[in-house]
Amino acid sequence: MEPPPQIVVDGVRKVYETPSGPVEAVARASFTIRRREFVSILGPSGCGKSTLLMMIAGLDPASEGSITVDGAPVTGPRPEFGLVFQDATLLPWKSALENVLFPIRMMRREVAPARERAMRLLDFVGLGGFEGKKPHQLSGGMRQRVAICRALVHDPELLLMDEPFSALDAITRDEMNVALMDIWDAYHKTGVFITHSIREAVFLSDRVLVMAKRPSTVVADVTIPFPRPRDMSIQEDPEFNRICGELRARIEEGYARAGEARGPRRSLKAFA
Amino acid sequence: MTADAARLPAPAAAPAAPGALRMLARRSGTVLMPLGFAVSVLLLWEFLVRFYAVPTVILPAPSVVWARILSAWPFLLTHLVPTTVETVVGFLLSMILGTTLATFLVYGRRFREAVYPTVVFFQLIPKIALAPLFIVWLGIGSESRLAFSVFISFFPVVIATMAGLRAVPPDMLRLCRSLTATEAQVFAAVRFPYALPYIFSGMKIAVTFAMIGVIVGEFITAQAGLGYLILFASSQAETPLILASIATLCVIGLVLYGAVALAEKAMLRWYGSA
Ligand SMILES: Nc1ncnc2c1ncn2[C@@H]1O[C@H](COP(=O)(O)OP(=O)(O)O)[C@@H](O)[C@H]1O
Ligand SMILES: [Mg+2]
Repeated sequence: MEPPPQIVVDGVRKVYETPSGPVEAVARASFTIRRREFVSILGPSGCGKSTLLMMIAGLDPASEGSITVDGAPVTGPRPEFGLVFQDATLLPWKSALENVLFPIRMMRREVAPARERAMRLLDFVGLGGFEGKKPHQLSGGMRQRVAICRALVHDPELLLMDEPFSALDAITRDEMNVALMDIWDAYHKTGVFITHSIREAVFLSDRVLVMAKRPSTVVADVTIPFPRPRDMSIQEDPEFNRICGELRARIEEGYARAGEARGPRRSLKAFA
Repeated sequence: MTADAARLPAPAAAPAAPGALRMLARRSGTVLMPLGFAVSVLLLWEFLVRFYAVPTVILPAPSVVWARILSAWPFLLTHLVPTTVETVVGFLLSMILGTTLATFLVYGRRFREAVYPTVVFFQLIPKIALAPLFIVWLGIGSESRLAFSVFISFFPVVIATMAGLRAVPPDMLRLCRSLTATEAQVFAAVRFPYALPYIFSGMKIAVTFAMIGVIVGEFITAQAGLGYLILFASSQAETPLILASIATLCVIGLVLYGAVALAEKAMLRWYGSA
């Protein structure tokens, strides 16, 4: 028997009131995410992905509809969520270890017991020996690894990631995908991952939600059948490429529906 | 001939020479050139004054000023002390007042809406014109000079601190909110440290303004201090002493600014450049 889903997003709409009139950031979103499932949200920029993630995190209230996590409606921020952003947003004056421990301090928990976990996390992502380094002494990929450790240090139920690898170069990005995959297999969290890379979404996820712009809705929900643990080699699998092609087609449909005067080649490029 | 020289075996001391030369060359842009220019200006000044036999009361030669500094040294020293102390105290007060006010302005929306326009208004008027009022209100003691010094120097601190407290990346604040951190925690652990580089750039302006405030105060009313000495010397038509006092002021100004700049350097090393 299926356990009940952990996250239920039901008819959520978000309208921002701006000086130049209301902006509909999310028109209507409904989906569920099971415990320990890794779900990517794929869509063009400005389609409301970040807004949706912030609403799930309880950092921004929905205008309509409801979001529940573990059966309880999300009404405000909850520390049992781990957040990772596009920029590592580390404190520049703190060492890698101190940055990882930051949530523990902010949650006013005892630091000493968490230190060991923080060191283990840093070790796990290949940053053993770098715990004393400050962010400016680390590469972009290393900084983002620290940010991922920071998101996991307080053992959250849920990891919410908003384009965490978008600012990295392609090679580092591949490395980070593998690192995240390893973390996933080791730590078993529920994950919501925002990206506009189709291959990244397919490689990492159990399911991919495709969002369209104007109106901003979820237009497709595609299950990725590859078993775990996965490695880079699945990217050569014909099935992998078939799924990528299907997702690309769904995104194109989204554009077509929005009636955007946009050639398929340009939008394809945006999702290379 | 050059070709021959190139083929000659290098003398024993040679390895050090290119290094030293390269350093000189590297330094020439930052140290040698400005120094050379300043010395040239002084030499030209000396030459022109002698050549045209300019009366000392109009413009003394640099050598005359230097001689006056040496002869008036004990005298300059006693007047230098109150000016320096008042500048430092005025600067420290304006740091405390400026950062505190900026914090309230950033955190209190109502307070900001009510107070900020007035703060800006006082910056737009010629502040020096208000100096006599401070004497009227606070008397001729150091209080009025300190108050005026703070009045003149705290605004750059307010502006810099406000900018710094608002420079925290929005995602960092989202993270703090998500972790249910209190506003006091966020201030101490995130906002204030983020603001430090900004605050220091405000400090560098404030320290020079603080000195201007003290000097203006001394011009109006004082029984001691370098501003007073300048005024006294000018009443005696003692131009070399005026310039000797000004030179002393410049040195104090440089030392105070240098101290802040050094502290800034240490802070930035701790902060870690992004
Ligand atoms: N705080 C806000 N105020 C007004 N409009 C906003 C705000 N945040 C986002 N928007 C608008 O909502 C839309 C969706 O934004 P966002 O969720 O950031 O998209 P994405 O993450 O998919 O790029 C955009 O048109 C954006 O301009
Ligand atoms: Mg976004």
